[in-house]
Amino acid sequence: MGLHSYDPGISPTLVVWTIPIPEESAQIDLEAGTAELHVSNICSVFDAFTVANSLTPTHPLGNIVSAVFDSLDLRWSDVTRSIMGFGDPMNQFSGDFFETAATMEVTATTLESTGHGFRFVSAATTQVNFAQIGRETNGVFF
Amino acid sequence: MQISRRIFLRASAGAAGAGLVLGSAPWTPRLAAAEAPLVCPVEPQPIPHTNATPFGTIIHVFGPGPVEGIDPNTGHDPSLITDFSGIIAQADLNLSGTGTDLTTGESAPYEFHTDIRFMKGLFVAADGRTHQGAFAFL
Repeated sequence: MGLHSYDPGISPTLVVWTIPIPEESAQIDLEAGTAELHVSNICSVFDAFTVANSLTPTHPLGNIVSAVFDSLDLRWSDVTRSIMGFGDPMNQFSGDFFETAATMEVTATTLESTGHGFRFVSAATTQVNFAQIGRETNGVFF
Repeated sequence: MQISRRIFLRASAGAAGAGLVLGSAPWTPRLAAAEAPLVCPVEPQPIPHTNATPFGTIIHVFGPGPVEGIDPNTGHDPSLITDFSGIIAQADLNLSGTGTDLTTGESAPYEFHTDIRFMKGLFVAADGRTHQGAFAFL
């Protein structure tokens, strides 16, 4: 079944693995300590097989191929730690941050036409390594 | 910094597309006025912090972690875009599930690690203007 690693590539302005999404797909209620992200049919992603292969210009495991996030539903809740009024002059950002729990459901597909056809359907979030929500300003807004 | 093939291909595809549009319909003021205006993507700009990967590329991202920062490349600003004011969320998770080979139909337990984030609010794009939008780091 092999290795699979999905990302949308690097933008012309060098923003890493980031794509525009409909504004209504991302919601936060900081007072309740919750947030949600719901997106579907994201076609601007690739299967690079591994992170290393994605970030290595020569792609030693082979060229990246077309993929789709069929659906992605991510929910944040249950604040475990609050960091209010945080500021970092060195990295030019500030804000209020709330570390939380999170759960995710995703279906991702590597298109069969690529010769690497594969589908992952998640069943459970087995570990939360780190999760947070918040409001922030950076750069010229810092 | 080396430019990845992905960036090169995307830039080339964009240039080729624009060339086809221009080649198929010679521009005149009357024609341009009658057609819908071209809509160019609004490109946000990366955070200034750079992280040299072991793979020969330099990327603008902090690894997931508390904003106080465990080391210079972990934690800190969770946003991927700079000149930004808005809401953010990030989740570094392990998932279990089922993987299916679409050629053979074979299925087996499969595990994924993921770092997903979103940013939603005001941002100053590469065009120098302030825009409203939402972005996902996938």
